[in-house]
Amino acid sequence: MEVFKADVAIVGAGGGGLRAAIAVAEADPKLKIALISKVLPMRSHTVAAEGGAAAVTRPDDSLDHHFNDTVGGGDWLCEQDVVEYFVAHAHEEVVQMEHWGCPWSRTEDGHANVRPFGGMKIERTWFAADKTGFHMLHTLFQTSIKYPSIKRFDEHFCVDLVVEDGRVQGAVVIEIATGAFRLIQAKAVIIATGGAGRVFRENTNGGIVTGDGMALAYRHGVPLRDMEFMQYHPTCMPRTGLLFTEACRGEGGFLINKDGYRYLQDYGLGPAEDKPRNKFMELGPRDRVSQAYWHEQKKGRTIEGPFGSVVHLDMRHLGEAKLRERLPQIYELAEEFMGIDPAHAPIPVLPAVHYTMGGILAYGNTASSLPGLYSVGECSSVGIHGANRLGSNSLTELVVFGKVAGVEAAKYAKSVSITNPGAIEKQAESVQARALGIVNQSGGAERIAVLRTEMAKSMESGCGIYRLATDMQATCDKIGELRQRYKKLKVEDQSKVYNTDWLLAIELGYLLDVAETIVHSALKRKESRGSHQRLDGYEQRDDANFLKHTLAYYNGDSPPRIEYGDVKITKSKPGTRAYGAAGVKADEERKKQGAANG
Amino acid sequence: MSNRRPYVRSMDGWWKRDPYFIRYMAREVTAVFVAAYAVLLLVGLVRLGQGEAAFNGWLQYLKTPWMLVFHLIVLAVFCYHTWSWFNIMPKTMPIMFVGGKRVQPGAITGTGLAASVIACLAVLFIVRGMS
Amino acid sequence: MADTEKIIEIQVLRYRPEQDKEPVLQSYKVPFTDDMSVLQGLQYIKDYLDETVSFRWSCRMAICGSCGMMIDGKPKLSCKTFLREYYPQGLRVEALAHMPIERDLIVSVEDFVTKLESIKPYIIPKEPRTLEQGEYLQTPQQRDMYEQFSSCINCMLCYAACPQYGLNPKFTGPGVLALLHRYNADSRDGGQAERLGLGYADEGFWGCTAVGYCSEVCPKGVDPANAINQNKMNSAINYFTRFVTPGGADK
Repeated sequence: MEVFKADVAIVGAGGGGLRAAIAVAEADPKLKIALISKVLPMRSHTVAAEGGAAAVTRPDDSLDHHFNDTVGGGDWLCEQDVVEYFVAHAHEEVVQMEHWGCPWSRTEDGHANVRPFGGMKIERTWFAADKTGFHMLHTLFQTSIKYPSIKRFDEHFCVDLVVEDGRVQGAVVIEIATGAFRLIQAKAVIIATGGAGRVFRENTNGGIVTGDGMALAYRHGVPLRDMEFMQYHPTCMPRTGLLFTEACRGEGGFLINKDGYRYLQDYGLGPAEDKPRNKFMELGPRDRVSQAYWHEQKKGRTIEGPFGSVVHLDMRHLGEAKLRERLPQIYELAEEFMGIDPAHAPIPVLPAVHYTMGGILAYGNTASSLPGLYSVGECSSVGIHGANRLGSNSLTELVVFGKVAGVEAAKYAKSVSITNPGAIEKQAESVQARALGIVNQSGGAERIAVLRTEMAKSMESGCGIYRLATDMQATCDKIGELRQRYKKLKVEDQSKVYNTDWLLAIELGYLLDVAETIVHSALKRKESRGSHQRLDGYEQRDDANFLKHTLAYYNGDSPPRIEYGDVKITKSKPGTRAYGAAGVKADEERKKQGAANG
Repeated sequence: MSNRRPYVRSMDGWWKRDPYFIRYMAREVTAVFVAAYAVLLLVGLVRLGQGEAAFNGWLQYLKTPWMLVFHLIVLAVFCYHTWSWFNIMPKTMPIMFVGGKRVQPGAITGTGLAASVIACLAVLFIVRGMS
Repeated sequence: MADTEKIIEIQVLRYRPEQDKEPVLQSYKVPFTDDMSVLQGLQYIKDYLDETVSFRWSCRMAICGSCGMMIDGKPKLSCKTFLREYYPQGLRVEALAHMPIERDLIVSVEDFVTKLESIKPYIIPKEPRTLEQGEYLQTPQQRDMYEQFSSCINCMLCYAACPQYGLNPKFTGPGVLALLHRYNADSRDGGQAERLGLGYADEGFWGCTAVGYCSEVCPKGVDPANAINQNKMNSAINYFTRFVTPGGADK
């Protein structure tokens, strides 16, 4: 097997991976970086992010505001010291992106513009039209070309990490074009492989978002944290699940039910006003807005469409000029995919799975419990999103923690050496045998598409916006059954050149493992918090018992072992999550209390 | 030794594959007619230099039936040449702003075509006036 | 379902280098509804009819640039092209033109990536600025001068459209030259001189004969034909003046 000797290997070349690679290169140009991606870097799903990247900018804004918005938005399940670091470094990172050429949208006088976003008290979301993720990804990719120490392995599929002597020492990849295996030897490995939304049926995610890195770290003993918290984005296209950015609401769009009524005011997000008001109505946090849809549906006030019940995203009052200028991609999506002109008709939307709040347990410096292994981005749980992520925090997360991961991994790589390359190569050989085993195994008759569809349907019913113990248990059983049936998979394609069938089979393995952590974590969390909401006796938040992180540990063929970890609280004691008028009142009371405590 | 064997497809007859390419080739071919007519005018210039008789001979030649047919063809070709020229002209211009608004490609093409029509009418008027 | 299921015939140009001497069309009958894209049709084929069909895709919303292919001879994104437009006659799907076929609908992208990397596609700052000084100032109008050229999703439909690229693979090509122009036109960038050597070369701007089909097929309105051809004037002027200006320097 061909061996490439790197100092730092990065698995995943999206926003987080690219930023980390640049950080390593800038920390020490002599370090050899292997940047591994199963697709060309500009195909990474960062490209689909639309709305923006949050960073405290305006003089009337403050780090404390961003901190409180994030911690409250996460329903107090955030690691508050990490959030403090995050909000403090957001601005410098978006400025760094600008210096690298990111075409941020501007005010008339040439400064970067900011727009309102859900759950944010003051406008702080930097944006590049409605294609922020696209522009950030391309800026990072094109900038990364400047650094000769970054060697890219495009279209190389990672099948396993190599852990030797208690630390990670490399990764084994398949060169997709030829089917050849390669060992990437490395002293530090950063995982930046994205989320796992494809375990669900309707989702905004691209085909590649299959939880690869999460599964790899998990199988090597690193816990996956807070996996039960899956974000439903409230405004997605029916059937395909394609995303209509939150910026539609930030620019002033309304969500209305079948009576043309802005129903969010019935769910603690009101009162309704004509102009968008931060943390009110449509600018409430995503979990609340998605949950409101669910209630409206139960009340029979949603509109029945060919692909399920929908509500209407009404932007007609914004006018065509503003829509084409501020939301050009949305306009195109509505017109080309749905035949709807948003300036003249409302868009039918419904919630779909969008973001994985949980992931590989990462400390504030992005390191994990496995020495040499770091993680960044949606695949990691570094502790800033808690039980519900605020929109525009995750693009900022990529650049803030991408840099941290790069710097830390570089430091670590310089402090260790590879002492037993023979043992690593031997492990790589057995990884190769296992990966080939999937395509070569005989006697099975299970089909990839069948197992995948059963998994996705079951996850949708068990881990929806509102959850019941019976449904969750049924899904636990189903996923367990699917994991067994997976061993009897029949892979049709036996070729070596671009055998995508084989890779889909390996991805299915990752999806099933991650799905199991999600549903078991959900079943065991007997409370409702953020985006994990139950209707079976556990409708309230239970800080006494569950102000804790869920940790899912790999347990071979058996379901994951669920344990719990503490939450780091510094400045913000758990309070009521209040938005709309109630939120304003809660803020005032908190201020009064703060003054009283002096 | 990998199993890759990239397959390169032939470009033979590429211009027949799409109406867009056929129109492009037609546009390029019009340049030949432009060159041919330039030669004709050059000959006229030479005849002018050779005296009135020679020039009148050239004018007579232009009135022969074959030359009339030639001129009709050239007129049609030049119309297509002009139209396709101004159609592609916006692509050669940098982004321009007039009064804060971006100049649209249609405006450039339209202006060019309008200028051509006016120029032709002007020449026709002048020639009419002289004869 | 709103519509009753109809069947459409999709012909796919197959090529498996390990068993096929050359590409061959294979026909599939796919049940579809009016909202289904060609990509969804291909996914149905792969899921239920023939797992060995290989093709690239990801985002499904025309932003990742993975799913470019020739649909009835025209370069299109399969996620944004709908089966209903080809009913009842059926359609033919082939790998993007002018690039070598690796496998089925997958073309070799090495040439494109190499060229993209060669043009210094990053900001070479005109003047230095520290992070503490904040962002460079750039008015909305300055941003307009390059924004459309920065919207390229690298889908390579323009390469499949460009006959000059098909005839001469040395030509840098529409997408990469548009990116070169994007950086030259960015008010923050001072690296024009470094990039124009490549642009003014024969394989650069002058490899283009203004066919214009690239801009026709571009799904994002980048208009690479404009990016390239607006530079020819400068290039011509530069050609004549470079001996006159001090040091023969490019401006």
